[in-house]
Amino acid sequence: MVSLARKNLLHDRLRFVITVAGVAFAVTLVLVQVGLFLGLLGKATVTIENSSADIWVTSRETPNVDFAHSFPETTVLRVRGVAGVEKADNAIVQFMNIMLPSGAEEGCLVYGLEDFSAWNLPWDVESGDPTELRRGDFILMDRSAERRFGPFEVGDYREILGHRFRIIGATRGAASFTTAPVVFMDFRRAQGLQQTVHNRTSYILVRVAPGHDAAQVAERIRAVTPYNDVYTRAEWAARSRNYWVVSTGLGMNMGITVFLGILVGIVVVAQTLYTSAVEHVKEFGTVKAIGGSNWDIYRILGEQALIAAVVGYAIGAAMSFGMRPLLAQLHLNVLVSPQFAATVFAGTVLMCLGAAMLSFKRVAGIDPALVFRA
Amino acid sequence: MNAMLAPFCCDREERERDALSPREVLAVEDVRKTFEEGSQKVEVLRGVSLAVDQGEVVALEGPSGSGKTTLLSIMGCILTPSAGRIRIAGREVSGDEAALRDVRKRSIGFVFQQYNLFPALTAQENVEYALNVKGARGRGAAAEAARVLDLVGLGDRRRFLPRDLSGGQKQRVAIARALAGSPEVLLADEPTANLDTAVGTQILELFQKLAKDENKGLVIVTHDPKVRNVADRVVGIRDGRLSDPTEH
Ligand SMILES: Nc1ncnc2c1ncn2[C@@H]1O[C@H](COP(=O)(O)OP(=O)(O)OP(=O)(O)O)[C@@H](O)[C@H]1O
Ligand SMILES: [Mg+2]
Repeated sequence: MVSLARKNLLHDRLRFVITVAGVAFAVTLVLVQVGLFLGLLGKATVTIENSSADIWVTSRETPNVDFAHSFPETTVLRVRGVAGVEKADNAIVQFMNIMLPSGAEEGCLVYGLEDFSAWNLPWDVESGDPTELRRGDFILMDRSAERRFGPFEVGDYREILGHRFRIIGATRGAASFTTAPVVFMDFRRAQGLQQTVHNRTSYILVRVAPGHDAAQVAERIRAVTPYNDVYTRAEWAARSRNYWVVSTGLGMNMGITVFLGILVGIVVVAQTLYTSAVEHVKEFGTVKAIGGSNWDIYRILGEQALIAAVVGYAIGAAMSFGMRPLLAQLHLNVLVSPQFAATVFAGTVLMCLGAAMLSFKRVAGIDPALVFRA
Repeated sequence: MNAMLAPFCCDREERERDALSPREVLAVEDVRKTFEEGSQKVEVLRGVSLAVDQGEVVALEGPSGSGKTTLLSIMGCILTPSAGRIRIAGREVSGDEAALRDVRKRSIGFVFQQYNLFPALTAQENVEYALNVKGARGRGAAAEAARVLDLVGLGDRRRFLPRDLSGGQKQRVAIARALAGSPEVLLADEPTANLDTAVGTQILELFQKLAKDENKGLVIVTHDPKVRNVADRVVGIRDGRLSDPTEH
């Protein structure tokens, strides 16, 4: 088969470059922007997704994992009595002020648990042992803190709410959406630091016994904790994520960026394909004169759109990928899952085919009789 | 049994008849064409009848605006007449667009004054693509394209793009493209108008030889007096009616 579509594209090389550049631009914009958004949003749920808790019990109307309120710590006893609950522990998540060596005060997000290892928190330990935390005024600090707090060494001391703690280790990847660095310390010490959490807790982490369904167990916990909210891991992650998407306008912002990217792509592709179709009207007339149908011509335009989509996507994806190390230097994480990449590819193909359809109307009316005219 | 044999006996009868008398490949009967421009009606063809046989070369001559291209378009199933009948390769042509397209695909080869080659395709690809549109695929199409390019003497120019060919060579590619797929009828509108005298003569002689060798019915619309040297018959057209060409 001779592909008139492909040969014509390569014949009008400059136009092909412009078309592909338009597609690549749209693809890069969407991949990088949405990837950055997802990377940012990942921070909102990173502790939820890495801990081994299947169910989170929260105070009423807690909007997200970072903004916890407290409730009586004895609630955990009722939760432990629920059928299907294998393990349930209190957890404190609380903003506290931390004094830096410079004398500046900063905020940090303290995670306080009795038995960290039982909940896979922290999940990436660079140095130090979380089980040591209960033995003294010790903390583990996440490396991401260095960006705001400056470098720290294991063995350094930091003052949290006027209390001296020794840094006995460092973790990686533990972050909060608010950018407040994450610090791990013993549950009782965290409780003792702040009046508002005396005899109280921020959350109850629940692990479901094997063979039990998390949603059903959550339902049973709800029955015994009328003053709390109970979420499965996925529900809690979604709630935390949605809070930031909606409250910050990030979601809207993202929608507008994606819309603009697609708009630019469609306009460029539609415009170049259309002018190309107009310039080749006489050739299309010849195709009809030798017996071709409208569909033969639609297929030519469709194939050109498809080629532009595939080449443009490949270049756009390569550019997005190439930008990752650069963005990583700015501490920006671009998160592109294979599913998302595939969705963008499908969107690109649809966008290009849609743009090609604008030319269909123009070529549908071509009269083969024009082949006899000069 | 009879039903199975029937096509064979008819086929044989047809072939015997062909052997006896030259077969008519194209006929128009009392064809009329009126164009409507707003409220104005222009009667371009006023009852034209013409038949062309296998291997026959017919030249159609007439002043500008006399309706030559219109008649050729109707014979080539690109335009539908306002009235009259058309028969191509022994079959009555109906006015329905899909049927017209089908006749163009199978039975007609066009050659234009402007060549109308695809500029992005080589000589070989130009012919092959036309075959693809007509439904031939793969190696068969490539071989057929090579065959017709050899026939027009361009076997060694197959990989050339139209822009690298002379006018005469371009018209040869166009002739090869018209021949590809073995249509019964070739229709050419002013095929030598863009060529100098010597090259025009060559093209006309090539046309005549191919029409004879390949047994095509060929209609050439032209102002070119040289066509009289190759035509079996010269037909004049004036104000939408056929006339004796010697009159003007
Ligand atoms: N699509 C159309 N609509 C209206 N009028 C038309 C159309 N096509 C042709 N005509 C008219 O029909 C007449 C004959 O045109 P045609 O092109 O058949 O002439 P021709 O003999 O081929 O002339 P030439 O030698 O200049 O090519 C002209 O007056 C032309 O204006
Ligand atoms: Mg004409």
